[in-house]
Amino acid sequence: MNSQEKVSIRVDGTVLEVRSGTQLAAALMGEGIVAFRSSPCGDKRGVLCAMGSCYECRAMVDGHRLVRTCLVTVQDGMEITTERPLEKKLLPTVETTDIVEDETGVVVIGSGPAGLSAACVAAELGQDVLLIDESARPGGRIWAHRGQMPAVVRYWIDKADRAGVRRLQGATVIDGEVGWLEAASVISGARTRVRCQKIIVATGARERFLPFPGWTLPGVVGAGALQSLIKGGLDVKGKRYVIAGTGPLLLAVAAIAVSEGAEVILAEQASLLQRVPLAFSLLASPERMREVWQLWKTLRGVEKISSCWPVKAQGNQRVEKVYLKIGNVTRVEEVDGLAVGYGLIPETRVAQGLGCVLEKDGRVKVDRYQRTSVEGVLCAGEPTGIAGSEAALASGQIAGTVAAAGTPSFQLMQKLRRHRGWGIALERTHSLRPDLIRSVVEDVIVCRCEDVVSSSIRGVRSLRQARIQHRIGMGPCQGRVCMPILALGDTLEHDSVRPPWSTCPSPRTELSSTDGH
Amino acid sequence: MSTLRIIVVGGGIVGAACARSLVRRGGQVEIIEAGDGPGLHGATAAGMGHIVVNDAEPAGLQLCLLGRKLWREDAPPMNPDDGFIESGTLWMAEDQHGLDNLSRAADRLATAGVTAHLLEGAALFDAEPALSRDLIGGLQLPQDGVLYAPAAAAALVAESRRLGATIRCRTRVTSVEENRVVFAHGESMVADAIVIASGLDALELCPGSENCIPIHPREGHLAITTRGTCIISHHVVEAGYQKGAQGEEDEAVACAVLPRSTDQLCIGSSRRPRRAGGLDSDLMERIIHRAERFIPGIAGLPIIRKWTGTRAASADGRPLIGLLPGSSSLWVAAGFEGLGITQAPAAAELIAASIFDEEPVIDPTPWDPGRN
Repeated sequence: MNSQEKVSIRVDGTVLEVRSGTQLAAALMGEGIVAFRSSPCGDKRGVLCAMGSCYECRAMVDGHRLVRTCLVTVQDGMEITTERPLEKKLLPTVETTDIVEDETGVVVIGSGPAGLSAACVAAELGQDVLLIDESARPGGRIWAHRGQMPAVVRYWIDKADRAGVRRLQGATVIDGEVGWLEAASVISGARTRVRCQKIIVATGARERFLPFPGWTLPGVVGAGALQSLIKGGLDVKGKRYVIAGTGPLLLAVAAIAVSEGAEVILAEQASLLQRVPLAFSLLASPERMREVWQLWKTLRGVEKISSCWPVKAQGNQRVEKVYLKIGNVTRVEEVDGLAVGYGLIPETRVAQGLGCVLEKDGRVKVDRYQRTSVEGVLCAGEPTGIAGSEAALASGQIAGTVAAAGTPSFQLMQKLRRHRGWGIALERTHSLRPDLIRSVVEDVIVCRCEDVVSSSIRGVRSLRQARIQHRIGMGPCQGRVCMPILALGDTLEHDSVRPPWSTCPSPRTELSSTDGH
Repeated sequence: MSTLRIIVVGGGIVGAACARSLVRRGGQVEIIEAGDGPGLHGATAAGMGHIVVNDAEPAGLQLCLLGRKLWREDAPPMNPDDGFIESGTLWMAEDQHGLDNLSRAADRLATAGVTAHLLEGAALFDAEPALSRDLIGGLQLPQDGVLYAPAAAAALVAESRRLGATIRCRTRVTSVEENRVVFAHGESMVADAIVIASGLDALELCPGSENCIPIHPREGHLAITTRGTCIISHHVVEAGYQKGAQGEEDEAVACAVLPRSTDQLCIGSSRRPRRAGGLDSDLMERIIHRAERFIPGIAGLPIIRKWTGTRAASADGRPLIGLLPGSSSLWVAAGFEGLGITQAPAAAELIAASIFDEEPVIDPTPWDPGRN
């Protein structure tokens, strides 16, 4: 792929020349388009998560509604329009696209470290494997890349290809059970129905967000989102960003932003003291020491503030100012963008849809062989607990082995234990401060799809009640952004998942909205 | 007369409506709800929320008319988006036979004093431009409408509480005896009157219910589209819908599409004699195809959520409203099938009239739980 090559796309009638291979959301933002849609109350909204969870970047692409532009690569001649309400008129009936039928032994859902390694191992042990992934390219979020593929990703993809793993990229699993799954193209909605014996769920994690006044302004994105956008081709040279929230991800995001020429202020909610134990555990791993040292060198000139978080964002149509709380002082920063994320949470919707039991803390419950409560369904990587890519690779290999009726090696099990231990330690040192959780103020929008304000849901006793009585989580994201916020304060029962597990375009083109009759 | 102590079992739309009618008459009312709050379960939470006057049988028509009138004139205070919106129902005919049926229905409705317009040819498409051009006519009931039932149930309970009623949530009733309800945790509570409005399991709770018309589960499938896709303004229903409704054994699929105030479409419907379970994707597909036959292009609209729900259907198609046979303190209001939202306030008035020995507004005998 030559990233200097240009393609032309048309956005609400205007032709734009953008770099080939760019993620559509990043391409639009690069052209100064930060607002992608209007919310029910008329606010402008832009990209939040940039990883297919929040649906804030949705637009109509080539006549299809509800296309998540963060999951799509620009194509020459692509037609993008802001979603507009339909008129009350006759729509033409369009031909149904046939459902593609497929059959395989094992379906692996998600092609991050866990999914790729699971698929490889299962295929090497003789299974027919189909890997289904939402993104245009394999690697998941952590291995997303720009231009040259990193060696580790190349290694696993080559290995998968050699083992005969078939890959279905750009498709999201929307329904199914043991025996069959239905996937839909994230861009055209075209359906594929796969018969299968075993399912390995490796859907990774999503970012946790906390609401504050102004967090719905275009230009306020997740921390991981900024990373994804930069990797997707967003030019940040000379731009000023506050990168805030919590966790080791912030350092990685700041590092990529800085190396791409952005000016960065780093704000971590955890205190220095809270993170001291981490420094000690680092000493035990020279490999990790080296990684951290590299990060530290890249971030030498960056201002890093601990015990600090954004309490307000302001701006006209997009974020221009960020208010940072540092102790009792509030500091105002003029910015081009704010990237804020409060760690990762397991992405369990597909597992829940399949009927897998969750632990109280929201992880998918698995045994030591990565088997879930549902016979024939395994789960690997972050859905079983946030522990990082090394743990994901190990658990993926275990799941792949077990799915192929093999027995995972003792070394592999040891490896998983070790890496998971590290992941848990990392989580603990970045746990959210009680004063930060308490600071989630009244009268701030919690559900961005439906514009539900926090004060209206005071006293709700379950997520079901929040959903049914207050329309929380009733939009296209189905609660992926807001339900974790609600669950923070109390231990509420888990939310229900109904098909489609991910909202996606209809398999039929909406011709009438572009042909103008 | 001293204050009557009344327990209402069930905080769905019917129980909530009963509570309000009873507290308004001076009853000391306590609602017992198994869920976290009113209106979160059963047909109240799963249904479409149409307020529709249905003339499938003459007695039911009276109950629908009274229910609709009460929703229009006496609804509890609600957020305007959730409250009654007069969108009208449009029954559609595919062929001359269907149109003849609608024409006869129009005559019957006219006799009963109900506003209804028979629309033929172009008039149909003026009223609803999104309809397929090969339809030959329709029957419009302009005063029908839609409301969001979970919010309506909550609003009825809120109004009842302002008048002095109480609600006890997360409390499951395991059985009901004369003047007494028994809870899952072993406790029990006495009352002068008990109204059982717990839908499908209403009769299972009651002694002597073997003398009642039985209530069976009837599953339905629904889907809802994203915002910005509301291409119709009426509740669009195919004329064969009622025929499908009566089918006991087989599953029935009929077009019933409801515009929501949120600029979304609720797409139904199906009926099968069973409790709601997992989603049947093939059945859902057939529902959407059926809807597309009447509203072309509807299958091109993205769907956010699909779900199933259980209607409580009585064996003879009429709800059970009134005193249980042989009892002096147990009333039942259940078995409304798809018309519970429409008929709830009317049923509540009948129950209240019976408990307080008033002259009922309409003749209650067709709904006597002990009828043959």
